[in-house]
Amino acid sequence: MKSSSSLLSRFQTAALIAATIVLGFLLYVYLAYAVNLMQFPFDYDQGEGFELVDTILFSQGRQPYLDANVYPFYASNYPPLYHVVAAPFVWFFGAQYWYGRLLGFLSSLVAATAIAWAVQRNTGHRWIALLSGLAFLASNTVYHIGPLFRQHMFMVMFETLAIVVLAGVNEVASQPRRRRLLLLGILLLLAAGYTKQLAAFTAVGAFAFLLIRQPRRAFFWGIGFAIAAGGIFLALNLITNGEWWNHVIRANINQYNLDQTIGLYRLWWSLHGALIIPAALLVLYELYFDRLSIYSIWFVFAVGVGAASGQWGAGDSYFSTAVAAMCILSGIFAGRTLRGGWRFPTNYLTRLTRPLSGLRHATAAGVATLVPLLYLAYGVATFHMPTEGFLFDDLARIFNIRPNTNFAFYDSAGRIAGGYADIGHLTTQADIDAGWQITHIVREAQGSAMTEDAGFSIRAGRDVVGNPTQLLNLASAGLFASRELIGMIERQEFGVIVFRGQLYPVDVLQAIAAHYAPETTIGMNGFTYIIMRPR
Amino acid sequence: MFSNTYTLSKRALGILLLVVGVGGFAAILMIDILDVGREGGIGPSQRIALAAMAALALLGLTLIPLGDTPA
Repeated sequence: MKSSSSLLSRFQTAALIAATIVLGFLLYVYLAYAVNLMQFPFDYDQGEGFELVDTILFSQGRQPYLDANVYPFYASNYPPLYHVVAAPFVWFFGAQYWYGRLLGFLSSLVAATAIAWAVQRNTGHRWIALLSGLAFLASNTVYHIGPLFRQHMFMVMFETLAIVVLAGVNEVASQPRRRRLLLLGILLLLAAGYTKQLAAFTAVGAFAFLLIRQPRRAFFWGIGFAIAAGGIFLALNLITNGEWWNHVIRANINQYNLDQTIGLYRLWWSLHGALIIPAALLVLYELYFDRLSIYSIWFVFAVGVGAASGQWGAGDSYFSTAVAAMCILSGIFAGRTLRGGWRFPTNYLTRLTRPLSGLRHATAAGVATLVPLLYLAYGVATFHMPTEGFLFDDLARIFNIRPNTNFAFYDSAGRIAGGYADIGHLTTQADIDAGWQITHIVREAQGSAMTEDAGFSIRAGRDVVGNPTQLLNLASAGLFASRELIGMIERQEFGVIVFRGQLYPVDVLQAIAAHYAPETTIGMNGFTYIIMRPR
Repeated sequence: MFSNTYTLSKRALGILLLVVGVGGFAAILMIDILDVGREGGIGPSQRIALAAMAALALLGLTLIPLGDTPA
């Protein structure tokens, strides 16, 4: 008996070491990706440049919720917090991408640390806590968006911190301390919501938890939260003459593609299934045998958010909050299993399963054996790495890992689902050279210039004209009067137009096609940029 | 319910989920009844939402027998 116990312990240790090596390597890949992107001076993911424009506007004491019907046809559809926090960097370093990417990257590290801390606090199992934090950073979705100049990971960080702060708040005996924690948690929820609208679902989940534990507390704090959130909302709407409402709410209701949603759910499951299973089991356990934790409720709401991923403009990033919740729950499940901490109080379910009670010890041993392997399986399922560059080319050759994307990059996701970001590869010097070549064309153009990536206009010292995705959002909602922009196109006031994805509203694209012709194409970062000149 | 010591029981949570599930199910069906001009009947998104509401109601039912245990 003793030898079998020792054998099990050795097996668990070996599996945990193997999982740590795989997930540790994926952290190294993530670091390499982040450092590479911070050195890239142009848009990597479509939309980064417009987040930089928002940041520049805030640094100048201006705001980006503008009337998009008039020159420069620019407006933002995101809340301001991330850009406001990044704005001081503009004063010291000018218009650069690296600090926004650094903020996103650091946010992911803070979220991973909060996840690890939550698991450690619940289970006392440091190794599993470490693996839980690493699992978050190893997720293909987190890897993609973490080091971008995008506000999404900043939101996930605030969401995770809020949930971790509120997790034990009901058990705090000291009233002043409990109130301080509640206030902090709610401020973090507000910060998440004013970073990106999607955090509203986390706020609903957090208040559902407070409601279940003590309706009175949920009611009074909920009123305070609603007043604060609503007050900021109204103030922003007043300051922007109603443009805030148009851009952040009305223009964000987009066309819905159910197939994309289903594809992204399937992809999320195929990549993260090894940890979704223990997370879901812990939710069920809490539902029937214990009290529901905030983590379980958060997980349910976060998985539900995935249903919105089929909207035009949405994608796999909509699952990153669910990944954070999954990492905490699966970590608690694993730690509790390895510590033997499960208790099943008698209820109708235990009575129903009484005939199987003889299998209890065998089942417990089986699960304890399996748990460390789950992290290894997760590491294999989410595996991704460049296949060229220092260390990577040798490893790719030794392990016969071949690129399965259009770049020197292997991604276990295989990029089969619509909405899955076509990014993750490292940029090259050729990409940087191509970016400067396009910038030169924009700088030398007669008249104005309009570029689908804001970066070229920023680098060329030109006005950033038009945010194509937001113009399309507005047009789809019937909120964009394209007459003035089309007039400029018809009069050929733009010396050059640079296409990347041809994302402008249809009538704008038709006007461009009628009055401009492609002059040349330049490849950068896997995308073909079309240089359009007046006919 | 508004006392400092009140907390939702598994039974109360079960009833709440049952009510939300049944109410949500009926509301989704009402979309077609109220908006009679709609074409195509119950679409795929509606079917998924109906299944989710039915699952929620069933989940609520399974919690009700757990009685006064805190949720």
